[in-house]
Amino acid sequence: MPRRRILNPLTELLAAVLLVVLVLVVNRWEFSLAVLLLVVVPAVLTSGRVRQIGLAVLLIAGPLLLSSLLLHGLFFPEGRTVLLDLGPARVTREGLAFAAVMGLRMSVFTGVLLTAAMTLDVPELLATMTHRRWNRKLVFVVGSAVGLIPHVALRAQQITRAQQARGLVLGRGPVARVRALLTVTTPLVIGLLVDASERNRMLGARGFSSPGPRTSYLPDTDTPRQRAARRAMVVGVGLFSVLWLGSGVLA
Amino acid sequence: MSSSLTLPADRTTERPRRLLLALGGALIVATYLFLVIVQPTEIAGGMGSAASLVSLFGFLGGGALLVGGILPMLTTSSLVIMPLGIALNIAIGQVAGSLGLQIYLDAIGTVLVAVLAGPAAGAATGALSNAVWGLFNPFALPFAAGAALIGLLAGLAAKHGAFRRVYLAPVAGLVVGAIGGLVAAPVAVFMFGAAGTFGTNAIIAVFRSMGDKLLVAATKQGLLSDSLDKIVVFVVVALIVYALPQRAVRQFPFARTHRVLGARSGQRAMTTAGAGSVR
Repeated sequence: MPRRRILNPLTELLAAVLLVVLVLVVNRWEFSLAVLLLVVVPAVLTSGRVRQIGLAVLLIAGPLLLSSLLLHGLFFPEGRTVLLDLGPARVTREGLAFAAVMGLRMSVFTGVLLTAAMTLDVPELLATMTHRRWNRKLVFVVGSAVGLIPHVALRAQQITRAQQARGLVLGRGPVARVRALLTVTTPLVIGLLVDASERNRMLGARGFSSPGPRTSYLPDTDTPRQRAARRAMVVGVGLFSVLWLGSGVLA
Repeated sequence: MSSSLTLPADRTTERPRRLLLALGGALIVATYLFLVIVQPTEIAGGMGSAASLVSLFGFLGGGALLVGGILPMLTTSSLVIMPLGIALNIAIGQVAGSLGLQIYLDAIGTVLVAVLAGPAAGAATGALSNAVWGLFNPFALPFAAGAALIGLLAGLAAKHGAFRRVYLAPVAGLVVGAIGGLVAAPVAVFMFGAAGTFGTNAIIAVFRSMGDKLLVAATKQGLLSDSLDKIVVFVVVALIVYALPQRAVRQFPFARTHRVLGARSGQRAMTTAGAGSVR
């Protein structure tokens, strides 16, 4: 069940981005861990989509964390304290510390942004952008791309099945793989381009390129208070960053 | 095609648009130079937060300025295929990433749009596709400026005839990929400590075990993977556009006026009735 929505999607996205910025500014593993435990985990748990978000974070961040641990844990030439010598590979304390800092940062980064994105109501975000008079071409490209992705994935799957029915077998060598890729992408792209040219004519007939403000069919869920809060958040994080980095330079 | 015949064209917005483009480009170049010249010593010791902040804001902000400058000057026919390119990038890139390949294949859509609709549309497609992809995979977000550069360079290559012959495409891919790899490496290093897929990290590990600094190792890996990746992408895109029906290519003014596909661009029926370029 989706959670009850309190804030406008634009506010939520901005809050997520600013949290990432804060983590980058402070750059201490203690702070990253605190954000992870006190903000990200509760946000995921109350999102109403715990399983999907958890799975997505695991699928995206898991391999990155593991490969980062292997890379810095085994190969960190700058490391001084050698814990284990394996010939060309050396496990060093500094390497493990570096992997831990980067790993925490990546976890926060993925957790915050994915939670914000996966609970996001895209039509509502686009409606807000229209109401706020954002560039309509940008709204069209972003909205249409988000809508097109599942369509493209489905079509690619259907074309793959059709080609397999005609005898497409994925070979081992790189040339065979590129050829298999081509047998799927070429019909996919041709079909999509034909669709696009039809859309081009329809948009032209409906005055897409004429100037002037646009009307959104969805109501504006943004409030003046949230707009003020967004500005305050940006200014606050900006001031904090300047002060924090300034004191770091002076110290 | 999309310009209005009844309404006056607004010339007043021309200047801020140019300014946005110049600012965006300058910001990206300045960020890259700052990261490479000033910071390399820092990563081994303190791994400065300043470097990651600069890379995030410089490249994202530069990309945003570029998109802001480019979008108003695109025609409807270019705008309509941009979502298509974005969706292709993400759909194919996601598959390649989950297979743990040494190459990314996440620029097929960008290069396709760049070839058909020109460098500006290509650059905007690259930047926006990483921004949209950021909603599903946040790790794509900081590489938006690099993707924009790929689109821009692919469009310029197409304009100067890299897609007129099949054997020119991999050469252009090699050059574009090398430049793209150079730009992407500092982002990967300063944001995520050069974490990537198992395939790319294995290459970095080889260079690290020879004692290279992380930025150097990641740059070498970027040069290697990105050139290889773009060679494959450029060849795939060239073969796709050669297979397109002429009607599909002819709807794009860029592909028509610059004869991007040579004799296949769809001009021969109209202009070169006896000029000898009929194949």
